[in-house]
Amino acid sequence: MPSFVKRLISKPEFGPFVLLLAMVFIFWELNPAFLSLRNISNTLAFTVELGLIALAMTLLMTSGEFDLSVGSLFGFSPVLMWTLYNTGIASIEISFAIALATALGIGLISGLFVTRLKIPSFLVTLGMLLVVRGTALYVTNGFPQRTWNAKDLPLAQLLVGDFTVAGLRLHMSLLWFIAAAVLLSILLTRTKTGNWIQASGGNANAARARGVDVNRTKIKLFMLSAAMAGFAGVISSIRTAAANPNSGTGYELEVIAMVVIGGTALTGGRGTIIGTVFGIFILRLMRNGIVLIGVPGLAYNIFIGTIILAMMALHSWLDRRHQEGG
Amino acid sequence: MLNKLTALVIALTLGATLCASEATAKTFYWISHGSPADPVWTYFLAGAQQWATDTGNQVNTSFHNGDVAAQQETVRIAIAAGAAGIVTSSPDPGSLVQVTEEANELGIPIVNMNTPDPTANFDAYVGGDLIDYGRQWAQYLVDKKLVKTGDFVWLPVEVMGATYGVLEEQGIASVFEPLGITWEVTDATLDQGEVITRMVDYMTANYDKVDAIIGLGDLVTGSIKRVFDQSGIAPGEIPVVGWGNSLDTTQEVLLGYVNAAQWQDPQATSYMALTLAAMAASGIPPGFDITTGALYEADQAQIYDDILSGK
Repeated sequence: MPSFVKRLISKPEFGPFVLLLAMVFIFWELNPAFLSLRNISNTLAFTVELGLIALAMTLLMTSGEFDLSVGSLFGFSPVLMWTLYNTGIASIEISFAIALATALGIGLISGLFVTRLKIPSFLVTLGMLLVVRGTALYVTNGFPQRTWNAKDLPLAQLLVGDFTVAGLRLHMSLLWFIAAAVLLSILLTRTKTGNWIQASGGNANAARARGVDVNRTKIKLFMLSAAMAGFAGVISSIRTAAANPNSGTGYELEVIAMVVIGGTALTGGRGTIIGTVFGIFILRLMRNGIVLIGVPGLAYNIFIGTIILAMMALHSWLDRRHQEGG
Repeated sequence: MLNKLTALVIALTLGATLCASEATAKTFYWISHGSPADPVWTYFLAGAQQWATDTGNQVNTSFHNGDVAAQQETVRIAIAAGAAGIVTSSPDPGSLVQVTEEANELGIPIVNMNTPDPTANFDAYVGGDLIDYGRQWAQYLVDKKLVKTGDFVWLPVEVMGATYGVLEEQGIASVFEPLGITWEVTDATLDQGEVITRMVDYMTANYDKVDAIIGLGDLVTGSIKRVFDQSGIAPGEIPVVGWGNSLDTTQEVLLGYVNAAQWQDPQATSYMALTLAAMAASGIPPGFDITTGALYEADQAQIYDDILSGK
């Protein structure tokens, strides 16, 4: 086997890449509309919104922690922003800044609880999930905030304005996603911070002994994760014309699944942004394809669960082959 | 390894191709903002399935649990797939305006069911008028002298902020506000166990305060008997009105736990909405909406109990 092929196969992203290709091929065979320009455009719109959260979650999970409050922040941040704007308290730009600053603050609190009080991130962020979701419901009395005319605002154009490339309708959020993926990939693989993140997740005590500020690194990642969730929520609220306090329910588990399917270790120490990008597309395209081929609504979760299990089994098999040098 | 992988892909593809060859001529999409765990949606789904059986068309169904982004994506999937027609409920007022325009542009009929959204340019609406339902429930309590000025009414709902609850509350407010009757909406969730727990907790804490209950959804209204039994409240002790599209509620009305319940004709709603979509796909535009629903008391409850029992 040529050496470049061996090198390619040995990469951790190879497994998810093969899975993604196989899935695209199968769904395309079942329904050619799967690869139509309209469906690709449709898929990219929502995929990158969840993808932004997954990118930040990759770094956090690489450092050995995870954040269950991202789904509630996805709902809370736009609700806060549109409440401030709709009630005339602040301009849309100031409201946006306040919403992101609040998300950063929530991430900071989660990070401090985890690192200073030594409480597992599972428990801290589960509590934060309830606090944030509850706050969104309480502040709004459960009512959605109106965002119907938002698309004409300059900020909305910047965040989620659409444009057409070769017949493909795309949103600005795709460019934000690509920029975030490139920057975070460089951060993780080519900078000292990236080494610190991996060291914090691999062996925190050894990392501390070598001068890595593990706590500070993790706190920053909690803040990044929260801010990205808030940012994604704002983008989604403008695109979908809906800022509902219930938005993002269950997204936390979907995002974690995307990261793990992409090849990042659930236990920390090893992470890959490129793999996460594959994981994001695997899960979202799977949901898209299942609807397209007409799986019954009540059987939807059976298929999703079965495919995830099958993918994880195939991923594990490919990984073992890789470890054995096969 | 690559050979095995290639064989696997080929095998899956062959299987997929065989499945695809069995596709029927016309495919419609039935898209719900509700939860498959919500009993009433089971009846809506049954109507869609019956329509598919009767007409020989394929109906692709999906549930979205109030997730607006996911529902929009599914409507666009249907458009991308060149659906013969789309039937969808509305998760939030204004949230389907854009996707409806996209369907309109391509000439794909798109019919709104269950939860109306006048801001979107649907071909037709099939279902109840939720604001009017809310108004009827509140007026029923007033007309029957079950509430008066200064009273407090509790409004449990499964999903705070969802369209149905928002619109129903508007109708209720139009009756209660001028009379000085106050109310509170509380979140009960879509999980049956959690619904009962939260409602029992609320009743325990607010028993002296609550003069009447309006269940804004089927799950909460269908839980009244279990909540009352667990809280030691006798049937009829606190007046209750609300949704009545489930066997739980028809029984509650028959047993006196619920004074009056709203029937929305769930199977008929799906069936008629798909019929209108098919009619529009054949070039006959529906220039009308279809309104469904009836508020029934104990003397009529058996009729709906029989329908829901499949008798």
